[in-house]
Amino acid sequence: METMPLTEPVLMILLSLAEQPRHGYSILKDVEEMSAGRVVLSTGTLYGALRRLLDDDWIERLEQKDISRGKQSYRLTQRGRKNLQFEVNRLKHLTKLAHLRIAWKES
Amino acid sequence: MLTIYRRLLWLYPKTYRREFQEEMAEVLGQLHADSANAGPAARIQFYVREGAGLLAGALRENWRQSLTRRFTVRNEFRFPKATWILMTIILAGVIVAIEKGEAIVASVPHIGEPVGPIHSGDHSLLVGIIGSFVVIYALGLLAWGIVYAMRRSEVH
Repeated sequence: METMPLTEPVLMILLSLAEQPRHGYSILKDVEEMSAGRVVLSTGTLYGALRRLLDDDWIERLEQKDISRGKQSYRLTQRGRKNLQFEVNRLKHLTKLAHLRIAWKES
Repeated sequence: MLTIYRRLLWLYPKTYRREFQEEMAEVLGQLHADSANAGPAARIQFYVREGAGLLAGALRENWRQSLTRRFTVRNEFRFPKATWILMTIILAGVIVAIEKGEAIVASVPHIGEPVGPIHSGDHSLLVGIIGSFVVIYALGLLAWGIVYAMRRSEVH
């Protein structure tokens, strides 16, 4: 599956949802924690990314009863998980290549 | 301050607001409550980040929506009835003009003789051509105006 390289905020959001379904506030906090405070998303950035991911069918809303709209949770779809896996493999390959090149330069 | 930020959500397109406004307001409220315990520097950072994020997001969503709408209109574009009527009138005008021209040619004697030089004072042909172009462009502009008005009123 060929996809464009993901931006860091989108990758972090997908990684956050890969573990478990989360609502907006929980995603923001998880991303901040995962990146040790380096990536702090704003509400506008988060919901812009969520809207695009929903449109592309990478994530979906979790059906919940008796939950207000403000606590709406999201989860990865099959497609989103596949694309995330693809991106992780791409990054792995890139990191391996970078290690090899750096090691070659040092030797 | 939080009220101002909630007002900023109104900058987003209507469809987007319908879907996310409530959630965004709730998350903003929670983040604002968190920042209340933080120091002044962190609070300023929060306000700047959220303000910039909301403005950039609103700009992006409005841009996306306007692009989507434009492409949707193009994909589903149909000529309105008014355009067909205008085109028929223009076609009828052209046919009448041709018939008139033929009648003039038939009424002029010695049609086979070479045409003499056009006198500098005789500009009726040139004026006629320019006039026709002006009329055609005006009709085109009118038709475009009608289509544009219908697009604005979301008839299509």
